[in-house]
Amino acid sequence: MEYAIEAKNLVKKFGELRAVDGISLSIKKGELFGLLGPNGSGKTTTIKLLTGQLKPAEGEAKVMGVDVLKNPIRAKELVGIIPEQETPPSFLTAEEYLLFVCKIRKLKNAEKRCGKWLKFLEFEDQKDSLCKDLSRGTRQKLMFAQAFIHEPKLAFIDEPLINLDPVIQRKVKDFLQDFVKKGGSIFFSTHVLEIAEEICTRICIIDRGKIVYEGPIKDLKKKRQHLEELFLKMVKEA
Amino acid sequence: MFELLKGMMKEEWRSHSTMFGSMMFAMFPVMIAVFAFAGSMLLPLFMTILSPEKIALLTHYIFVIFGLSVGAFGLSGREIMNRRFGQASLIAYSSRSLPVSERRIFMNFFVKDVIYYFSFWVIPFMAGLAFALPFISISLDYFMVFSTLSLSFLIGLSLMFLLSTLYAHSSRILVGLLVITGVPIILMSWYFGVDLPSSLPSFSLFVSRSWEDLAVSLFLIIIPSAVSLAFPKMDYPEKKRRYRNSLAGLSKKLDFAGNSHFISKDFIDMQRSEGGLGKIIFAFIFPVAFIWVLLFVFLKFVPIADFLLVFSILMGVLASSIYEWLTEFDVFTSYVFLPVRVSTLMKSKIKGYAIISLAPLAILVSTAAWLNQFSDLLISLITFLSVSSFALAVKIYLTGLYPNILLYNAKIFIVFLLLASPALLALIILSIFNPLYLLSSLVLIPTAFYIVKKSYAKWDNREQPSF
Repeated sequence: MEYAIEAKNLVKKFGELRAVDGISLSIKKGELFGLLGPNGSGKTTTIKLLTGQLKPAEGEAKVMGVDVLKNPIRAKELVGIIPEQETPPSFLTAEEYLLFVCKIRKLKNAEKRCGKWLKFLEFEDQKDSLCKDLSRGTRQKLMFAQAFIHEPKLAFIDEPLINLDPVIQRKVKDFLQDFVKKGGSIFFSTHVLEIAEEICTRICIIDRGKIVYEGPIKDLKKKRQHLEELFLKMVKEA
Repeated sequence: MFELLKGMMKEEWRSHSTMFGSMMFAMFPVMIAVFAFAGSMLLPLFMTILSPEKIALLTHYIFVIFGLSVGAFGLSGREIMNRRFGQASLIAYSSRSLPVSERRIFMNFFVKDVIYYFSFWVIPFMAGLAFALPFISISLDYFMVFSTLSLSFLIGLSLMFLLSTLYAHSSRILVGLLVITGVPIILMSWYFGVDLPSSLPSFSLFVSRSWEDLAVSLFLIIIPSAVSLAFPKMDYPEKKRRYRNSLAGLSKKLDFAGNSHFISKDFIDMQRSEGGLGKIIFAFIFPVAFIWVLLFVFLKFVPIADFLLVFSILMGVLASSIYEWLTEFDVFTSYVFLPVRVSTLMKSKIKGYAIISLAPLAILVSTAAWLNQFSDLLISLITFLSVSSFALAVKIYLTGLYPNILLYNAKIFIVFLLLASPALLALIILSIFNPLYLLSSLVLIPTAFYIVKKSYAKWDNREQPSF
């Protein structure tokens, strides 16, 4: 079985704190995997470890067959990442930023790609505004566009829908579901349980850096169990 | 009653110590004292060139400028502070969400700035002077110097608070007031033959010790502060600007350099940030002019070295400050999720640096033309390029992409001085013996390449701090 993501015993320490404490994961190609957990549980740190943004104290990780620790740049070339905090360079306009990302990723037809995403996420009217002047929602759209502009096969998404209006949220959810149907994989971190329940195929709940539950979303539906009940139970027990 | 002030003091300390480290930040006043001590020890030498009164006047103006720059931090530094900490997290902006009036916040902010910068800059400076006095045979009324320099600092600070307040309300009011007050003062001083620079009240107090000058000094502190406190405004007018895509065109023009999109982005950042390219020119031209005057006067009275050659060495060091501008608007958190190495960014900034360095090169050529000294032009250009490359390489090795933060770390700053100064001193001494000896500066270029290569390895292998 070929996995999109494989992680073994990942550990990350910040001083005395073990932010990620021995996490092992395998995510198949074509999965929309949801990483859930309360605030400060280690979701963002896990994403950063899996994408080579942070170095683990222990453990190893591969994305699309690439060892993240040994070759983080290659891993970032292959995947798209939407960070938790939107930090596009302040003094570029939205359009310039997307072109800038295309240049970094050495993409052809940059202007066509930018135009497509500006139109799809409905912020063409903001393309000449400086990134620092954009609303949080528009910045989130911009970060979404930069993550998918090179048509990756795997994307890591950290709280992607939190500032988007319901119309764009629907569009994005449909896009993500379509993306996995076409063979792409998504690693999706959130604490909005309704969204995870609606679109994820498999979920994992972490608390204090450790996995406390992992399983397909359809199992919950079979048991007629709500994700919220499971989440509260698991976090309470942990 | 003092909770807000205490909170602001803690916030100021923590925001700096988080970036530089508590110990290193605490060392900063010690460094100021050491520099003030060293400068004071050179006073007898300066007094062979300038009269004591001129030195006193210059020192008083330095303190006024210092007060202005401390006050201006609220104006020019907010872009950086907002980006790093976010407006919402600063107490100064808490009137938006908490039941505290802007006036109360502004008053505490003012008092905090006075206490904080007085303790961190003015007192260490005066301590350095006090330690030097027993070693130099200059009789000085220390209490009077302390008082009038402090008044100069406060005049600068109050004036900048007033200007900031006016700007926050309307930039037109600010310009109008500057014209209405500035033009008549200049015309009247010209008409009545008043020596305007010497009319600085705190300096006049130092000379005359009159109650009138004390009263005018206090007036210049109290009135601008009172006006600022009466009409506070924490929000500055923010224009939402729109621009046509200029990245594509600029990248195309700079394609010859490679990584042209990164270089273009840096140039766009500098152009679109507050003050635009003007502030960079000012920040570079002003120190160059200062060194020019100082060196010109110094070498006129102590003609041991050639002006053009020493100027090329000093400008090489000064030019390395261009790197600070190129890195000011970049944080690696903007790239950490993209396939970008730290070394790629460093390379692009070095290329941008090389392009901007055409400006100091032009200054050097103009200086040679002005002095009619074309015979030494080639040597001075080589020296400038060698020193500039070396100073830049040392800076990159020590501070990576964060010179604007890490150079405030006292330890790193001292290491920078220790690494850069021996080569500079050696070159200055060599220039005294024979200008041709300066060709030996060429050895600094391969050294710089080696250091830069080491810097790439060092910074690529580190987890980047998110300052």
